[in-house]
Amino acid sequence: MKNTAGRNSAQWVLLVAVFIIATCGLIYELVAGTLASYLLGDSVTQFSIIIGVYLFSMGIGSYLSRFFNDHLLEWFIRIELLVGLVGGFSAILLFLVFPLAVSFQPVLYALVGVTGILVGIEIPLLLRILKDKVEFAELVSRVFTYDYIGALLASLIFPLIFVPYLGLIRTSLFFGLLNVGVGLYLCRYFAGEVRGVAAIRFGGIVILLAEVAAFIFSEQIMSFSETLAYNDHVVYSTSTPYQRIVITKNKHDLRLYLNNNLQFSSADEYRYHEALVHPAMTAAAEPRNVLILGGGDGLAAREILKYPSVRHIQLVDLDPVMTKLFTGQDILAEINRHSLKDPRVTVTNADAFIWLKENRKQFDCVIIDFPDPSGFSVGKLYTTAFYRLLKTAMAPQAVAVVQSTSPYVAPKSYWCVNETLKASGFQTIPYHNYVPSFGEWGYVMARKSGGYQLPDTFAIEKKYISHAVMEQMLQFPEDMLAHEPLEVNKLNNQALVNYFEKEWGKFLDQ
Amino acid sequence: MKRGEFIRLTTGMAVAAPLLHACGEKKTGAAAIPGKIVGASAATGHLLRDHTFNPPAAFEAKEVVIVGAGVSGLSAARHLVQHGVKDIIVLDLEQQPGGNAASGGNAFSKYPWGAHYVPVPNNNLSEYLSFLEEAGVITGYDQAGLPVYNEFHLCHDPEERLYINGHWQEGLVPNFGLNAAELAEFKQFFTLIDHFKKLKGSDGLDAFNIPVDTSSHDESLRALDRITMKAWMDSQHLTSEYIRWYVDYCTRDDFGTPYDMVSAWAGIHYFASRKGKAANAAHNDVLTWEQGNGFLIEALRKQLDGKIATGALATSIKATGNGVKISYLDVASRQLKGLEAKHCIVAVPQFVAARLLGDTERGKVVTDHFHYVPWMVANLTVKDLHERGGQPTSWDNVIYGSASLGYVDATHQQVQQRKDRRNLTYYLPLTHTSPEAARKEAYRAEHAFWAEKVLADLQRVHPDIREQTEQIDIMLWGHAMVQPRPGMVHGEARKSLSESIGGAIHFAHTDLAGVSIFEEGFYQGLKAAQKILQT
Ligand SMILES: Cc1cc2nc3c(=O)[nH]c(=O)nc-3n(C[C@H](O)[C@H](O)[C@H](O)COP(=O)(O)OP(=O)(O)OC[C@H]3O[C@@H](n4cnc5c(N)ncnc54)[C@H](O)[C@@H]3O)c2cc1C
Repeated sequence: MKNTAGRNSAQWVLLVAVFIIATCGLIYELVAGTLASYLLGDSVTQFSIIIGVYLFSMGIGSYLSRFFNDHLLEWFIRIELLVGLVGGFSAILLFLVFPLAVSFQPVLYALVGVTGILVGIEIPLLLRILKDKVEFAELVSRVFTYDYIGALLASLIFPLIFVPYLGLIRTSLFFGLLNVGVGLYLCRYFAGEVRGVAAIRFGGIVILLAEVAAFIFSEQIMSFSETLAYNDHVVYSTSTPYQRIVITKNKHDLRLYLNNNLQFSSADEYRYHEALVHPAMTAAAEPRNVLILGGGDGLAAREILKYPSVRHIQLVDLDPVMTKLFTGQDILAEINRHSLKDPRVTVTNADAFIWLKENRKQFDCVIIDFPDPSGFSVGKLYTTAFYRLLKTAMAPQAVAVVQSTSPYVAPKSYWCVNETLKASGFQTIPYHNYVPSFGEWGYVMARKSGGYQLPDTFAIEKKYISHAVMEQMLQFPEDMLAHEPLEVNKLNNQALVNYFEKEWGKFLDQ
Repeated sequence: MKRGEFIRLTTGMAVAAPLLHACGEKKTGAAAIPGKIVGASAATGHLLRDHTFNPPAAFEAKEVVIVGAGVSGLSAARHLVQHGVKDIIVLDLEQQPGGNAASGGNAFSKYPWGAHYVPVPNNNLSEYLSFLEEAGVITGYDQAGLPVYNEFHLCHDPEERLYINGHWQEGLVPNFGLNAAELAEFKQFFTLIDHFKKLKGSDGLDAFNIPVDTSSHDESLRALDRITMKAWMDSQHLTSEYIRWYVDYCTRDDFGTPYDMVSAWAGIHYFASRKGKAANAAHNDVLTWEQGNGFLIEALRKQLDGKIATGALATSIKATGNGVKISYLDVASRQLKGLEAKHCIVAVPQFVAARLLGDTERGKVVTDHFHYVPWMVANLTVKDLHERGGQPTSWDNVIYGSASLGYVDATHQQVQQRKDRRNLTYYLPLTHTSPEAARKEAYRAEHAFWAEKVLADLQRVHPDIREQTEQIDIMLWGHAMVQPRPGMVHGEARKSLSESIGGAIHFAHTDLAGVSIFEEGFYQGLKAAQKILQT
């Protein structure tokens, strides 16, 4: 009597283990699929490949199970612990290798494959362990019933509960812990039937502790994986309502990233800012009032403050966190030479479009340094509607300049900005230069009337610009031309965003 | 997606796994979201049906009284004032003028309660164009004589998207996941529409024109008004699920009438009557504002200061031989007041007009031929919503296969980079049953019922809509618009009801056009005013 009861409960313990293994196995597969579709895009492809690889690996596992001949229970527990280890850490591993972009897919499929193989070995093993304890028909029916119920449970709780509340890293760790827990429990339950219990138990506890630690420190792991993505030491990072600001530093330079796009490298930003500011400032002739739209890093302001004629600079930047950082943080304010604290500079945190709509003042020079037109919101700041407003903020002889992305990578985008300014009633002077950390970069100067006279000198302290350099900047080689008629960028067509997406998309794909 | 963004998403709360639908998830009930049923004062309107009033003691003299301050009534008033007839008054039972083009607002934006856009106008509508110029919508004309539209009023890109086969596609004409045969049907359909756009009847008039009354009366075209849109599509072998859905969506959108009930003439009119050309817009672009056509209402009102009486429910209109006597209830003081005018323009729907005139025969014609469909409109104030893949959030966001028409983003025309909240206006024509039954149901249901209906629908495309919605207000339009069923546009009822009575009572309302659009209302009003100016 006692004996059958013992057998019976042993059987149930093992069936519950099947159930948990099935749940965990599918969860790891879903974690991999979700991660892959977010990181690589194209969810349909990612999910189908991962499901395929996983199922196929389970097949391999089933095949391999024939080579396990003795000590089945022991192997079963070992594999259980291994699944817990591999699956539990799978999300962390994938996050960490992602920045090393080339090796991501092999690692992804290898992980899915290993998990699949391990889970694939387990079911046949279990069938064999139980085959003497339960009648065959009933055994098969029970094992597979639990296997499939586990799968259903996993597919429901994953999107509804785990991903929203725990995120992917903690979800995979959680199920890893569950696997290991089951392994340890089996160890205890079958202590008498298993050899080398102590060693297995020790291994299990080590994995358990590692996963608990990782679970607790998942935030830190996440930000560590972020530093890998930047190849550098992240000295500061924050998310504002407007953008993600990341500052990195290494031996050579300091870099600012907004939403993962490089804004400047301290090593060569002078090339960019001298080219952005001085042609317009010099063309404007003795400018007194200058407007900067964007440029919350204070670097354009630094250049403008070199002109003795300047009485007042109005800087309008969306993000108070940005301007505060570049006013108050010493390593940053050193780069802009404390320009934002200069009494001639007024910093206003406002949306440039709204600010311009309400503005009644006129300026002698306007420097426009917005992020690239990579989405429909910023795209609005490059439209005819915006440039017509800009005109109202310009004195009759004023000059404006617009940073206009790379004419080499995105010639259509660049020349579309030029066309849009022309369609808004400006005369334009397109030019470009080379900034090592950016590549070839483009700018468009715009004025209401009067052509452009190349100045004899740029009479300010400088490292880069000169009469001869400016002369070169005005020349566009064939490979920076659009070679087709371009649309004007308007609020109701957002042509620029479409050009930009296509051109940069193609460039980054290479 | 940017990696940093992704990392935040995955650690955060907002990810739902692709392919696995997180639908049916219900963390907080709809009841938890605040809001109310606002609204067209059905109760005030029903006073008219359920009450009898004593005649007012005195009748104030006016040259013209206009009953109804919707597009039709305001357009008439504007035209009269511009032509020197200034002793006028416009009565409306609501607290705000505008009728179906009414609007509301909160700290984040204004938003429409009904009509929300007009297409780029046809170029032959000179009176309408000059109104738009007056309203600042047209800023000038180019060398070719084409109107230049105010860029802030043209709908910004991205304009429309459709959630279909698990993906947001650009534009509302289904194409994502369609096979070649299904796509070919759309091609064929639009070829037919192109043909109708250019077609002229034997009388030399455009086959389909705006206002409808300027369309050709060619018998072969009138025949289309005797069959339904579905019957016509069947005859053209346009039968795939996708094209049927699309056309049905369009006819429900413009007419509140399913494609198997709407007249084929009206259905085709929707597609083939728009021929507008602009200097700076494509022919299928639209004009829209935060407050929808509420913007145009404000423009119509500009010269009508002190000439609009709101909270004024007309109770009767009687021809006196040499003029018209109008009684109305001043809702605030609950007093019945009288007006005596040389002319009266009745700019209310015909089922109301018949009652005001106390004309049972007229009433019978209306009940027999005019079917008014009820609509529900909801305004939701939302925080950032989780987005499914594909085209990013657009002005008009439609869900394939939904009973609703999706939602329009009232903050879409705002130009700032960051929007703390957005107001989404959600449209549901109640066409699942007869108008009468739907109307009863609609007035019985409570706020929580409607809120749940809206959220359950939007949850498919924004899984976190329940957590992210701060407020849902509901508007019920009991008699939102007349249905252009077969026989409506080219039938006799519409014509006979449009005729003036005794040279003193004139009619102007979009239901008399059979097709409920801004331009029709504008010209209904204009025509009625012209009749008065000609006498
Ligand atoms: C939900 C919805 C969405 C729409 N969307 C669009 C759109 O996007 N574009 C478009 O062009 N059209 C749209 N329409 C059509 C719209 O109906 C017309 O464009 C136009 O606004 C109708 O104007 P109207 O003056 O003819 O009628 P109404 O707007 O019906 O005006 C009648 C007026 O009479 C008043 N009234 C009624 N009875 C009395 C009484 N006894 N005493 C005093 N006053 C009275 C009412 O309060 C109302 O103000 C939409 C309609 C609805 C309902």
